[in-house]
Amino acid sequence: MAKKEYSFELKSSLSELDNLCLNLETLGEKIGLPKKLVFEINLALDELFTNIISYGFSDEDEHTIKVTITPQNDEICLCIEDDGIPFNPIEFDTPDVACSVENCKVGGLGIHIMRKLMDDICYQRCGDKNILTLKKNLAKDET
Amino acid sequence: MEIIEEKQSGINIFKLNGRLDSNTSQGFEQKIFQAISDGSKNLVVDFKDLDYISSAGLRVILKATKAIKREDGRIMLCSMQDYVKEVFEIAGFDSFLPIVATMDDALKAF
Repeated sequence: MAKKEYSFELKSSLSELDNLCLNLETLGEKIGLPKKLVFEINLALDELFTNIISYGFSDEDEHTIKVTITPQNDEICLCIEDDGIPFNPIEFDTPDVACSVENCKVGGLGIHIMRKLMDDICYQRCGDKNILTLKKNLAKDET
Repeated sequence: MEIIEEKQSGINIFKLNGRLDSNTSQGFEQKIFQAISDGSKNLVVDFKDLDYISSAGLRVILKATKAIKREDGRIMLCSMQDYVKEVFEIAGFDSFLPIVATMDDALKAF
């Protein structure tokens, strides 16, 4: 099966989360992805996107975040590319999730969720770009 | 996202409809904290029509839970769709937040 790539671009504004959702739902319908998988991809990309918008840019200029999705036989590959400050979510300390209401810390929660949802994460810094590649195995998400 | 507020025998009910993400969580935070500062001590958040939640939404729920505990009040979360509940589980929030199956269960807790 030939690898087909689907890509779209988002502007550096939180309101673009609606576009992220729309793009993923359209793609999900087009290539027949299970709803649960679309939800999980949306959540992982949302957490990364929100993180990039919240912490990634030191200026007020508009930036573009590029998302590329490559479905393969038994996995789906997601690539997210931005020109923000270097950020490697693999090295990021995640919170201790087993805690009480009083002690629960919320910092890093989004990255923790993204890492839990994905099976493989690879980070590269290329020139002025962060390139994060995520892989999700499809076999266990058939339902 | 749409938020419907109702009051039923001293309990403030928030019905969430749509998507609770970093774009919409602020509006929800304002509404729930307004109710707390107006003196509400019993809150129910109804997730029946909520299709999506991200960590930004979890954060508001956690903040509100902490705030209501300080006031000796109580919050109940009910009627979550499976995908939404799974996000609470991944975050480990299901271990200390009162999540129940139905609105009736939530109301009975007060």
